[in-house]
Amino acid sequence: MDWFWPEGFHTLAMVGSFAFGAFALKLPIAVAMGGAAVVGALLGGAGFPLSHLVEGTFGYLDTILIIATAMIFMKTVESIGLLESVAAWMIRRFRKAPALLSLGIMGLIMVPGMITGSSTAAVLTTGALVAPVLIRLGVPPVKTAAAIAMGAIYGMIAPPISLPAMIIGGGIDMPYVGFGLPLLVCTVPLAIFTALRLIYPDLRRRREDPALATELERMARVPLSLRLFAPILALTVLLAGERLFPEIWPSLGMPLDFLIASFVALFVGVKWNPIEAVTSAVNDALPVMGILMGVGMFIQVMTLIGIRGFVVVSALALPAWLLYFGIATSMPLFGAVSAFGSASVLGVPFLLALLGRNEIIVGSALSLIAGLGDLMPPTALAGIFAAQVVGEENYFKVLRHCVVPGLLTAAWGIAVILGAKTIAAMLY
Amino acid sequence: MTFIYRGIALFVLAFVLRCMLREKDFWKQVTATMVIVPLAMRILLIK
Amino acid sequence: MDIRLKGTNKTALFLLALALTVMGWTGRSYRAMHEPDVVVPAPGYTEHRLSEWFDGIAGTPADTAVYIQDSGISGGTVFVMGGTHPNEPAASMAAVLLLERARVATGRLIVVPFANMMAFSHNSPQEGHPRKMHFTLSDGSIRDFRYGSRATNPIYQWPAPDIYIHHPSGQQLAGSESSNLNRAHPGLPEGNLTRRLAYALLEMIRKEKVDLAFDLHEASPEYPVVNAIVAHERSMELAAMVTMELEAQGIPMRLEPSPANLRGLTHREWGDNSDVMPILMETGNPSQGRFRGRTDERLVLTGEDRFYAKASELGRLFIPYVKDQPIDLRVARHVTAVMSFMEMLGFVKPEAEIVVDGVPGFEEILGKGVGAFLTPLSHRSLQ
Repeated sequence: MDWFWPEGFHTLAMVGSFAFGAFALKLPIAVAMGGAAVVGALLGGAGFPLSHLVEGTFGYLDTILIIATAMIFMKTVESIGLLESVAAWMIRRFRKAPALLSLGIMGLIMVPGMITGSSTAAVLTTGALVAPVLIRLGVPPVKTAAAIAMGAIYGMIAPPISLPAMIIGGGIDMPYVGFGLPLLVCTVPLAIFTALRLIYPDLRRRREDPALATELERMARVPLSLRLFAPILALTVLLAGERLFPEIWPSLGMPLDFLIASFVALFVGVKWNPIEAVTSAVNDALPVMGILMGVGMFIQVMTLIGIRGFVVVSALALPAWLLYFGIATSMPLFGAVSAFGSASVLGVPFLLALLGRNEIIVGSALSLIAGLGDLMPPTALAGIFAAQVVGEENYFKVLRHCVVPGLLTAAWGIAVILGAKTIAAMLY
Repeated sequence: MTFIYRGIALFVLAFVLRCMLREKDFWKQVTATMVIVPLAMRILLIK
Repeated sequence: MDIRLKGTNKTALFLLALALTVMGWTGRSYRAMHEPDVVVPAPGYTEHRLSEWFDGIAGTPADTAVYIQDSGISGGTVFVMGGTHPNEPAASMAAVLLLERARVATGRLIVVPFANMMAFSHNSPQEGHPRKMHFTLSDGSIRDFRYGSRATNPIYQWPAPDIYIHHPSGQQLAGSESSNLNRAHPGLPEGNLTRRLAYALLEMIRKEKVDLAFDLHEASPEYPVVNAIVAHERSMELAAMVTMELEAQGIPMRLEPSPANLRGLTHREWGDNSDVMPILMETGNPSQGRFRGRTDERLVLTGEDRFYAKASELGRLFIPYVKDQPIDLRVARHVTAVMSFMEMLGFVKPEAEIVVDGVPGFEEILGKGVGAFLTPLSHRSLQ
């Protein structure tokens, strides 16, 4: 009890007031988060720390710009008809090879995450591209969204760019060198499993759908041309250039990349209304942007009144046999505030607690487990956006299908940590 | 680059304001307000 | 229960007015962080600006004060830098103490107490740090100093790149490190402000022919390189002598060689790019660590924290920690080690001998506290 008081009580009070605000009062999650932060500060004796609350939101300022501009890009390619046209082409071309198609689609979902280190970027670009394909081919929307969410997370963790791995490495002054193979070991087997579990079964059960031909006709009403692809090509060049040739490429940053690529869409020769597309994009992104602001306030107050230390040291105080269980549960749970936050706040101490294995392999595995945080409500960035991409209003339905691959991901991460020395011997 | 990013933030802020004025639910307007404050403070280089 | 409310243009305008009020209120407190800390240099120091050595930072927020005390008797030149990371307060306070106390009898002493002024002007989001810390002086008056951030204020270089490429090694780091002064060395004259600042510091070291240079830091108690000296190959012999001397005085100190593959840090780049002997030192600061509980000024000054005590019991810390780690102890460690280095410099480089008096010893600082050795501001006009 000595240990629990008062920080444990404050933790319960903050989580409880969030739940009350979100579920009983039915406030938007952003407002409930902000309210819980205020309750925590008041109970924790910090008064009404307005400047702390605002300061907390700045932790996600760059993230909300990425989210807003990525959403603008998605609405743009949707508006010019590119998404549906590509879907129609893929269906015609690969319908007869379901296994190949499943794996190919999974790979496609991962690519933007691999080069940006952001699951949101993956969901809102190639995720949005493949969603209509999968749904048209008979994969239920919620399973489609689950596959996109999982693929986006694996993409975020996979090399060449893994921000969680960089964050964890940076915390112990370990340069981001030599992470490529370990991160592939962490992600590729899981991506294959997820593709075969969530996508392949429905694709294989190919039904002869008489309406499909006319539907494909309708979807492909804007003919696929190089010009139509211009926004995607522009984005690919911009994102890949910065990552692959960082020495010579100007560092524009993701928000500017997304906006330039969206701007290109004005010249593809299809009529669309940019003002309305952008308004609708920002309107769709606004709840998530708000959630991040609320989460920023929440973390600031958690740190201020000592809850952060309580959570971290409680997890580290677990007996050795429970430590791995602690890693597998606390990191995804803390990811509810953000996967990157989890990597920094818990990933670094856990890596320090596991020194003496192979730090690069253990760091890679910890970033994989931290990545699961993007599925954890209330933020659940990957889950929320994947649900939006398939038009599903309740993202919990999507998360239900993520449970099995999610558990497997945590188990695989722990297995990689346990076998770090063996894996290191095989890789290096 | 800071100048361009202030421009991007202003662009996003303008649309957040547009959405806020069109919004019919008070609490969703509050959500928008939570986004407006840090965006505007960065545009003005206060924080 | 449902508290749904209708939103109208009127409510939107009301909320906007509220947002403006919040911005005005909090903005004032953030802007207050831009006010520089006041120091009272001991007699004999002359004040300069770092831009005198590299005009690429002149008129920018990166420019910072450089204090030089020349004894007039030829000897070594020693440079002490605090404030690379303003969330590591014992580092800048140790430099301030040397600035306000030292009397140089032989050689020259250069002090930069606040290396990255751009990082003193804000706090890192989600860290919950206090903005100021206060010290009570011998005459009962109080002086305050800012507690800043590890990173350059983003209003000066926004946005951070997605990936930070260290120049000239090409090493890749997370983009946020582009605003970390201690990943920017040896600097780049046309780079962002942080890199230009690093370049200016190196220019000063080169042009002033500095023999021995310190970059003072603090680290989380759970981080392996803490209560430690990190030395470049060129400084290793001297550092080993000092480590033994400190051990003999009952001040345990780790000695770490500067890793060759970790780039951008002073202990590597200053040594590789000039003739100086670089030394980086770390003390254990609970207020920057991940295990800390309630985060406030008390924690910064006392280092007292029950979660650190628990982590210590669990064997997770790299410093001896029972219940606290006061800033007086941390400053005393830095000051004593710097003095010990200066005393021994003549043994490894006879022409670079330096003699500095007037600086309190380890037990004195620990016993009376840092505040006792700061000069009351009322004495400023007398000098």
